[in-house]
Amino acid sequence: MTKDELRDYIVGHFEGKLTLLDTGRGEPFFEVKPADLVEIARALRDDEQLRFDFLCCISGVDTGERFEAVYSLASTINCYRVDIKVFLPYDAAEVDSVIDIWLGANWFEREVWELYGINIKNHPNLTRFLLPEDWDQGHPMRKDWDAPDFIRMPEL
Amino acid sequence: MGIIKKLPAYSEKVPGGGFVLTSVEAVLNQSRARSIWYMLFGTACCAIELMCTGASRYDFDRLGMIFRATPRQSDLIIVAGTITKKMAPRLRRLYDQMAEPRYVIAMGGCTINGGPFYYDSYSVEKGIDHIIPVDIYIPGCPPRPESLLEGCIHLQEKVKKEKLAEWQGE
Repeated sequence: MTKDELRDYIVGHFEGKLTLLDTGRGEPFFEVKPADLVEIARALRDDEQLRFDFLCCISGVDTGERFEAVYSLASTINCYRVDIKVFLPYDAAEVDSVIDIWLGANWFEREVWELYGINIKNHPNLTRFLLPEDWDQGHPMRKDWDAPDFIRMPEL
Repeated sequence: MGIIKKLPAYSEKVPGGGFVLTSVEAVLNQSRARSIWYMLFGTACCAIELMCTGASRYDFDRLGMIFRATPRQSDLIIVAGTITKKMAPRLRRLYDQMAEPRYVIAMGGCTINGGPFYYDSYSVEKGIDHIIPVDIYIPGCPPRPESLLEGCIHLQEKVKKEKLAEWQGE
């Protein structure tokens, strides 16, 4: 499948669950509701035509209005790539774990939880990962994060 | 002062007839200054310049500086690269394991005040002098090998000026 065919195939197969986002980029981006994430992820992995067997990374985003978790998927069998986004409001920053689907998600989810404070449900070991062991200053990648020794770039 | 008057008589018995007068302090400092062994401690891009300085083109060895892979055998730690808050306790531990007298060179902007990570960074320690005492600062991002060599020559000058009577542990 070409990129356009791949995009149309996903749009056709996951009608109503995945929404195509217009990013102006080559790779397709889709939005998925937090409640549907695990189901859709499993379907993307197991679909005979797609076989997205590899989770490249999970990116956290704080846009200033909401959190986003971006799951970058790849198919090592078919050489496809796709990104699916979960939009999370600040007051409900919680998403299900996808460790059952891709085992490598374990560390990515710990990182997202630690740096953004996005809670991961059903994670077996949600503990301190990259920050110092005695860190007690919250989630530093949030837009509104501040600390006594944090120096913001002045407006130029 | 009787021995001074007798020195010419003694010197005639030495093969070649020459003699040198000096102090223990001067000999000790000269030999210390010309055999400063540094610990391999590179955490970022400054380490590439450090490796380059140690290789044949710039030839660190001509200053008597040889790399050691353990703090127990090192006189000097060249902190070459960004020190994050997570790395800071490890750096302190390595420094504590070095035998005295020990010296520290802060190489590059990151080790002086955080450098390019001074603004908008939650993870970088803004200057290693918050963690360990520093003898020589070498600015640059990263400093060229010539800068590092000059920094080491300044350190040698510092070592040569030290007084035996002032040696003491921390």
